[in-house]
Amino acid sequence: MSNSLTLAPAPRSEAAEQVRAEVREFLAAELAAGTFQTHVDTWLSGVDPAFSKKLGERGWLGMTWPKEYGGHERSAMERYAVTEELLAAGAPVAAHWIADRQSGPNLLTYGTEKQRREILPRIVAGECFFVIGMSEPDSGSDLASIRTRATRNGDGDWVVNGAKVWTSNAHHSHYGIVLVRTSPADPSSRHAGMSQLLVDLSLPGISINPIRILDGGHHFNEVVFEDVVVPGDMLLGEEGNGWHQVTAELAFERSGPERFLSTYPLIAEFGRRVAETGDAAQLAALGRLSARLLALRQMSLRIAAALDRGELPNIPAALVKDVGTTFEADVVEEVRKVVDVTPSLASPDPLARALAEAQLHQPGFTLRGGTNEILRGIVARGLGLR
Amino acid sequence: MSDQDLVVETVKDILSGFEPFVLTAERRWDAGLWSALADAGLTGVGLPEEAGGSGGELADAVAIVRTLAAGAGAVPVAEQLLVAGPALLAADLDLPSPEEPTTFAVADGVTVHPVDNGDGPGRFTLSGTAADVAWAGAARHVVLLVPAPAGMEGAVLALVDASSLPADDAANLAGEPRGSLVLDQVAAAGALLTDAQAGEVRARFALARSVQLAAALEQVLAWTVQYAGERHQFGRPLGKFQAIQMELAEMAGEVTAVTALTDAAVQSLDRGENVVPAAAAAKVRAGAAVEVVARLAHQVHGAIGFTQEHKLHHLTRRLWSWRDEAGSELLWSKVLAAGLLAGGPDQLWPALTRAV
Repeated sequence: MSNSLTLAPAPRSEAAEQVRAEVREFLAAELAAGTFQTHVDTWLSGVDPAFSKKLGERGWLGMTWPKEYGGHERSAMERYAVTEELLAAGAPVAAHWIADRQSGPNLLTYGTEKQRREILPRIVAGECFFVIGMSEPDSGSDLASIRTRATRNGDGDWVVNGAKVWTSNAHHSHYGIVLVRTSPADPSSRHAGMSQLLVDLSLPGISINPIRILDGGHHFNEVVFEDVVVPGDMLLGEEGNGWHQVTAELAFERSGPERFLSTYPLIAEFGRRVAETGDAAQLAALGRLSARLLALRQMSLRIAAALDRGELPNIPAALVKDVGTTFEADVVEEVRKVVDVTPSLASPDPLARALAEAQLHQPGFTLRGGTNEILRGIVARGLGLR
Repeated sequence: MSDQDLVVETVKDILSGFEPFVLTAERRWDAGLWSALADAGLTGVGLPEEAGGSGGELADAVAIVRTLAAGAGAVPVAEQLLVAGPALLAADLDLPSPEEPTTFAVADGVTVHPVDNGDGPGRFTLSGTAADVAWAGAARHVVLLVPAPAGMEGAVLALVDASSLPADDAANLAGEPRGSLVLDQVAAAGALLTDAQAGEVRARFALARSVQLAAALEQVLAWTVQYAGERHQFGRPLGKFQAIQMELAEMAGEVTAVTALTDAAVQSLDRGENVVPAAAAAKVRAGAAVEVVARLAHQVHGAIGFTQEHKLHHLTRRLWSWRDEAGSELLWSKVLAAGLLAGGPDQLWPALTRAV
């Protein structure tokens, strides 16, 4: 197989197992205290700034970042263990998720010293939340077709006009990293002329309008920019380098345990049911799901280990996300095939509730962060076909 | 070049002189390939020198098994290096010469009686039929895992001289011998294993097949990618069509998942951990990948891949066979789930994070 798809096995990390135990203890105490209830897909829908702050206090945000920016200089393997435990418990992690996973590392790579000093310590504290400003009403999978424009005014500031969509939790967030055109589209070089801006979402001219997902939940937004003046020093990275910078984020965005554990709380409830019934078909289904999950863990761990080695394995990350999100969606059907249960959000049966939540969120899994068709195109490139 | 790379290169060199062939009742295994491997000391790798092996690490033995599986080598190397040899050593039994092929089978249909001929414990007589014995008729020795004598717990691991036992011509879908051996008061050295020890031997067998599956799946993907780059239709290579790209990417996802999990399970075995959950998961995952990878490989290859003249069947027929051998996905998925739930209904997640 092409080398661009294969990664070395992840080493064992004692430090990761140590912090895993600490997180598990913390979560058990929080659950017992009733500070949160387990839900499916909480990295999209579980917004709880107070909970995020608690994680910050315990040192579980910005874990891998340098200490001079408030980080904890721990390994990606340790961070992997923390995020995995939070997701498995269905804890409310949506508020800080994007900032911790993606925006912080992006600032570390491309931000100015001033941007890093001002913002990173606040992310680490669980007090500063981010949105990704990539997709637009007319630009989904074809991201290079974005039309949101930023032009320099006489003061050297950027004037932004356009709209971004699917911005998860923009209504709870402080900043967006917004991909804009800073030069007119050039048909001969589609990926040129784009830049990333660090945009304070409280600036005048920004309006944030809810886009409800099909169950009525408000997570997505349309963020509209009308002559928004963004200070000139809020350019992130290099002018014209936006496409490259966006691509570099993807190893972080696409490889983590949130790409196969969004429906884990449903598996946990299913496991409780199987333990109760001892039914052979259910046992086999749980075994099949577990085997798939265990394989995905190893794939994702390999990427965490590669990040620790300083690599940015975008193609294996695309592969993990394709296989992982397919699995997340399949969980619903696998459970349905062997348990006679009617999904219901209001049911007293926790399995029926988890099934309902998972079903209603299912279409998003294989769309967000790059559709699986786009991901397979990237994998095909890794196989040398394109 | 690492030691392992060197081992792989050596096996590849040898394999290049032994093209895969259609196995028949007349020619049921590749005795020439076996001799070449044995002459190079490769049939004792991973088994300690003081026990008569060639030394080396488990990883070296796995590398040999993988290379032979990808090359459709018709020899009982996986059974000998990864199952029979280590199981005998773990039970404090003597290894036969690694130059003589030794296979392994679980034989629930065989009964065993301890014999005390004055030499102390460790001698048994076995009677009954051992079914589905890999390389029956080809292997000189067979290590059988049989239920313990009535009234005793566990199982007996026995080393049987198979050279004079009649074997029938049963074979798997790839033509690999999977015949029955009839035992009539056969004397053998053996050892009593606990249920847990017997479970580990079964898991080793499943892991050995998983390793073979992983290697064959990788090779089938590589062949298919290569074919898609060479075969032109409508004026361009198949691989330029998006529909084909989607299929190949799906295959790559399956193969990568199997490799990651199988490698981790091997490492778990190497660390001396309980290998049952890891091997169970690896076997289930590898078996599930066979459906996707074999189906899409044949789809992309088109009609030529459906012929006996094309090489693809050497591996797809093995994939379809190996996934059900050493315990099917159904069997191991239940073992896996039951083990994961053993700590209680709320302990599934901690069990998953410990499993591999």
